[in-house]
Amino acid sequence: MVPGAVRPVDVADAAWGERQLLVQARQRRVRQLQLFAVWLGIIVLVAGVLVRFNLDVGFMTTWGWFILSRGVPTTLGVSLASITFATVLALIGSLMRISRSPILSGIASFYVSLFRGTPLLVQIYIIYIGLPQLGIVLPAIFAGVLALSLNYGAYMTEIFRAGIQSIGHGQREAALSLGMTPQQTFRRIIWPQAVRLIIPPIGNEFVAMLKDSSLVSVMGIWELTFTATKSGRPRFKNMEALLIAAAAYWVLTALFSTIQSLIESRLGKAHER
Amino acid sequence: MSAEERFAGGERAVNGEPVVRVRNLHKWFGRLHVLRGVDLDVAEREVVVIIGRSGSGKSTFLRCINFLEEPSAGEVAVAGISIPAGHRGRELNRDLLKLRMRTGMVFQEFNLFPHMTVLENVSEGPVTVKRIPRAEAVRMGEHFLAKVGLLDKRDEYPIRLSSGQKQRVAIARALCMEPRVMLFDEPTSALDPELTGEVLDVMRQLARDGMTMLVVTHEMGFARDVADRVIFMEDGIFVEQGPPDVIFRRPQDPRTQRFLQRVLD
Repeated sequence: MVPGAVRPVDVADAAWGERQLLVQARQRRVRQLQLFAVWLGIIVLVAGVLVRFNLDVGFMTTWGWFILSRGVPTTLGVSLASITFATVLALIGSLMRISRSPILSGIASFYVSLFRGTPLLVQIYIIYIGLPQLGIVLPAIFAGVLALSLNYGAYMTEIFRAGIQSIGHGQREAALSLGMTPQQTFRRIIWPQAVRLIIPPIGNEFVAMLKDSSLVSVMGIWELTFTATKSGRPRFKNMEALLIAAAAYWVLTALFSTIQSLIESRLGKAHER
Repeated sequence: MSAEERFAGGERAVNGEPVVRVRNLHKWFGRLHVLRGVDLDVAEREVVVIIGRSGSGKSTFLRCINFLEEPSAGEVAVAGISIPAGHRGRELNRDLLKLRMRTGMVFQEFNLFPHMTVLENVSEGPVTVKRIPRAEAVRMGEHFLAKVGLLDKRDEYPIRLSSGQKQRVAIARALCMEPRVMLFDEPTSALDPELTGEVLDVMRQLARDGMTMLVVTHEMGFARDVADRVIFMEDGIFVEQGPPDVIFRRPQDPRTQRFLQRVLD
């Protein structure tokens, strides 16, 4: 394997480097095992506590299916719809925010300030039980998606704005110097680069939204949280029902976090080396 | 080709309309008066090199020519398209795009588009701005990449290129718009020292091919060998200008003498 021209000292160095890599790989494996052991310990502890609740396994198997089959699709549907609308709002909001027009920028910054500065729950109530005083009665599911979209749209406006503004000034100048219009410059040069930066945080926002969508349960939408409390409370099995809901959220968020980090690493790799 | 011959070429074209015409250009950054009334005519095929200390206004002047910097007062014309300083309407904005199409610019920091391959970088202008069919733009792109010696890198992304290669692609990208004049804003200042040669060689070849060029640089060797005219700039005005032989051997103004003394040894 070693060509004749290589001097012994090089061979020794190469072997040393390889050994170091092996040592580092082993250290990483040991670390992972340690982490796994800690998790296992905590799980055993928590299980020990849960046993004290005398959980009704029969309830959990019979009603568990109902909670999951009814709740998960609704939670996912509400979250997916809301993240989609929020993304559109954020794109519009961020463009308005960075526009030179004081009117557009003012509207956008007001929107961001208002919806980031008030609790999501209050926004939900205002849309669902406040607006009817004006004669505007929205179906619960619409009100829920509207509130989540507006709220997350405000947060994501800032994410989009930061992503767009992080593209170096030189890129804009290079495009303009070719004779591109500001619109062409944005579409062809700035936006495609900004998207790579924006997509990972959108994943984060989606994972957060999966959990925040539980707030729309106050309007009686049959998503995970509402389904769980509705099933548990009349039968005095709150703990059982809520544990199932919590587990479902956990699995969903873990799943989407994994998907997100896969997307992130793929985006990170593009155009490199 | 000697400087004299090139200058003669410039002489010939002086009869025609200058490619670049700047009149009484002023630029303020807040209360800072960076350009204090600059006039310049650049003839067809002429190579003009602007030298001077950093902060003397050279780069600002160059950036005012294609309005990356909005001049505060005065007028700029490139290839017959004349635009006054100040606020612009729809009509003048169209002129601005036309002026930029006819003005190639090469930046100190290259500013290649990192999300596009080398070939996409150079064909982007023709496709998006000139609406040239992609196949034809690709042919043009390949032609100019070959000219800067980087055709074999056509499918690479900029991140995989050396700084010298990046700058040569940036030159090809500007050439692809078939500009009437090329502006170079310190094109070798961000390069690794051993790579400045390859970029200067491309610029030399460009000058030999008859491209009209306006170059801001600290490369005195390039100025001496390639320029038809060297301009020394300080405090926002052109202090002195003339053929490189005159400026470098017998500078008249004490400010020019001081500057050259410092940079030449």
